[in-house]
Amino acid sequence: MTLSLLFSLLALALVRGTPILLASLGGVLSERAGIVNIALEGEMTAGAFAAALISFFTRDPWIGALGGVAVAAAVGFALGFAATRWRVDQIVAGMGINLICTGGAAFGLIFVFNQAGVTPQVPAINQALWPLVLLGILLAAALQWVLSRTPIGLRLRACGENPHAARAAGIDPLAMRLYASTIAGALAGLGGVFLALGELNLYSDGMIAGRGFIALAAVIFGRWTPLGAAGVALIFGLLEALQFALQGNIAWLPSDFLQALPYIAALIALLGASGRYRPPAAEGKPYP
Amino acid sequence: MKHESAKALLIGTLGVAAAMSLAMIASHVSPIVGFNAFFYGAFGGKQEIAETLASTTALLFPALGIAIAFRAGLFNIGAEGQLLVGGLLAGWIGTRIDVPPAPAIAAIFIAGALGGALWGAIAGWLKATRGANEVISTLMLNFIAASLALYLVTGPLRAPDAAGPELSLLPHAYWLPTLLSHTRATIALPIALLAAFALRYVLDRTWYGYRLRAAGEAPEAARRAGISLSRVALWAMAWSGALAGMGGAALVAGELHRFNTQLSPGYGFIAIAVALVGGLEPLAICLAALAFGALESGGLALQAAAAVPKDAIHVIEGVLVFALAARRYLGARGTATR
Repeated sequence: MTLSLLFSLLALALVRGTPILLASLGGVLSERAGIVNIALEGEMTAGAFAAALISFFTRDPWIGALGGVAVAAAVGFALGFAATRWRVDQIVAGMGINLICTGGAAFGLIFVFNQAGVTPQVPAINQALWPLVLLGILLAAALQWVLSRTPIGLRLRACGENPHAARAAGIDPLAMRLYASTIAGALAGLGGVFLALGELNLYSDGMIAGRGFIALAAVIFGRWTPLGAAGVALIFGLLEALQFALQGNIAWLPSDFLQALPYIAALIALLGASGRYRPPAAEGKPYP
Repeated sequence: MKHESAKALLIGTLGVAAAMSLAMIASHVSPIVGFNAFFYGAFGGKQEIAETLASTTALLFPALGIAIAFRAGLFNIGAEGQLLVGGLLAGWIGTRIDVPPAPAIAAIFIAGALGGALWGAIAGWLKATRGANEVISTLMLNFIAASLALYLVTGPLRAPDAAGPELSLLPHAYWLPTLLSHTRATIALPIALLAAFALRYVLDRTWYGYRLRAAGEAPEAARRAGISLSRVALWAMAWSGALAGMGGAALVAGELHRFNTQLSPGYGFIAIAVALVGGLEPLAICLAALAFGALESGGLALQAAAAVPKDAIHVIEGVLVFALAARRYLGARGTATR
């Protein structure tokens, strides 16, 4: 393999991995604060659809990008609000949010554009693709530092491990969880924006294609640390890129097998990485 | 029915009605016209009722399977893949055997159950032996099942007579008998209801079901009482997959009459919502499946008659799930997903 081929492979891996990375950072943040985040898929969908919609009407992709992030943050806020004030079952609520967001985007396509499946082409921020890739990696490093080295990170982790002790130490676990869930929504939404306006210039149904769930897997594989999750997300990106690179080059290997490659790799990794992950102790448990 | 559950149900129903009205108004349709189209589409005649029952059946099998796993404390989101593998094996067996209809249909259902059980058991085995998180493994197995099915129907198992990538048509004698003639409502529905009653009996009245529930509700106590958590994980996932796989077999033998990769438009995922709305109780799940089945077929009619996009129905299902998630707040007991 020539060097240039290797570079293009790595470049593709970064592009494919970044949306997963961004969403997985959101997942780490909310889960460390004690909120299970099944809703990443819905938040990415909301971000991608809202970004395309707003970009279409304002003709300004940057307002679209900001709007996408804001809408996804609102979805994260809704999950956080229901989880903290209504003490809902977070997994059930997350599933509900996923249904609402994917159904809502499909409904919105027909309602606004009067066509099923895909928006018209909208102004995009394709030139910002690489800065966004870099931003994702920097965010992972920054979040790692904040969680492990700063007082606010310690407080956030306390809310996920033992909210009663956190309360006794003068922290408001409900507020902390609400903030974390909102920022998580924003990060997942940025992942959706990356897909809709960074890589492409439209939203189409099924565009997220399970990346929110893959991000959830990255959170768990990455053992609930930002750098760990980011690393796993980029490995998923690399496997996806490999699949493109190998397609058609290896005659005896069916292409459907290559499509399953990232998932088979994850399954094999599960065999090796067994029993070594422990979720935050109070994750998913309503407080008080 | 307890007072609180009735209250939650009432609020859920009102929430759905309000969400549907909003969707209709957003689509410039009078709610009176819209609800009329919806109820006619779901219950208005023989064909409409049959469509509702067909959707109910397709959701009921995987929802019952999901309930088994959830009651055992396993978050199985792999019903879609288990349904697909079950349907694949059922569709393959159905074209390979040459026996009278009754044993053939039994063989098709057993093949579906085996296929689904195998796919579920992979995740169960990973959990039991390696402690692997079942959320990841079942999710990955969904993607792998889709790729595997696509590979097999485009390659080795592709029917020579088929127009597209699909298996051969089942012999006409093996098509499931219909409950209402010339409709998609088949005897798969009573089979699913039978499975629900059997599941309720096993979960509530047998030592086997007790162990499963104990492992789900208080794993540490169960372990100390001598219950093997890994065996429960393996078998709960296998049974969970078996029911989802039977759903695949029912779709193959009852609706498509062959296997192809378009077998399920996400039944395995909607079924998670059905199981949760049914509070993981088999008989309540039957009612939840009927409600969701009516939403699916009524939604299609709404789209045809009143130009309200069918996807609005998924929003409404989401609202229903969200409302029921909040029922602890509304005063009833929460669902036991952990």
